Amino acid sequence: MVVGLRHFTDRDGGGAGEPVLDAGSGEELMHVQPGVSIALANRPPESPGTLYISTKQVMWLSDVDRAKGYAVDFLSLSLHAISRDPEAYSSPCIYTQIETEADEDESEGSDAEGDQIFDLTKITEMRLIPTDPSQLDTLFQIFCECAELNPEPIEEEDGEEHNWVFNADQIENQDAEGEDSEWNFSHNPTNTIGHSNGNHDLAQSVLELQINDQRFEDAEEMEHESHRSNDERSPSA
Amino acid sequence: MLFFSYFKDLVGREVTVELKNDLAIRGTLHSVDQYLNIKLENTRVVDQDKYPHMLSVRNCFIRGSVVRYVQLPPDGVDIELLHDATRREARGS
Repeated sequence: MVVGLRHFTDRDGGGAGEPVLDAGSGEELMHVQPGVSIALANRPPESPGTLYISTKQVMWLSDVDRAKGYAVDFLSLSLHAISRDPEAYSSPCIYTQIETEADEDESEGSDAEGDQIFDLTKITEMRLIPTDPSQLDTLFQIFCECAELNPEPIEEEDGEEHNWVFNADQIENQDAEGEDSEWNFSHNPTNTIGHSNGNHDLAQSVLELQINDQRFEDAEEMEHESHRSNDERSPSA
Repeated sequence: MLFFSYFKDLVGREVTVELKNDLAIRGTLHSVDQYLNIKLENTRVVDQDKYPHMLSVRNCFIRGSVVRYVQLPPDGVDIELLHDATRREARGS
């Protein structure tokens, strides 16, 4: 999977020059919005183009330059929102944040280097500015629907990281495959949620919740008891 | 699906969602789906100096996979209910 924004010039031969989709993997076009400008990071908006939203990605193709276009997978779109406040941005737009390989290195400035070369994979913000702002709500809704069509892929490898557990069946399956998993569950309760991302993530977080619950219960009991006199407290209470 | 059900019960409440890129957004929980994608309304960015461009945003959709923490309203945590649900989840029923 390609993380982040990328160049996209794969258009079909027709006059409109629609993007070529990966029909083999079931990609379908969901929405076409003509008259959209695109602004990457803090760069000025680029000449009006057409926005194509498919079940897998968002594509923007320039109307004037067939060699110019961008695309980003929904898997890389961390956040999207409608921005209407002219204080923050001059035109109402769809504001998006893009997940990149090196998130911590948020170099905002392509300013210093000039406009000719900038690294698309480092772009963390993208604004889509329709000439017709009344389309914003529709676009936002379509973004939401398509984002839900693209959950994180479940990695099948037996690595120690990112083996998300979605339901009890998976736990059982993994128990059957993995060795000593029950032992891990019952004797290794000290792992924290953040620390352990292993096969038994859910089981361990459940365990931790129960530990927390007991802690809360104690606090509650103490609160109740504080209302009574200490002398009345009996071991059975 | 425990946490999905749990977050569904919090719809309409104020939560703070902290993203893995350190952006923290406070808002009313509008909806959540099975992937823990989160929609917030009436949002405001907690650290506005650092993210001035997010000021204009009043509602947003956050991809579940980029969420680091969700801070909950203290009275939105029903210990008894969670206790029960976690036990049932652990039994796999």
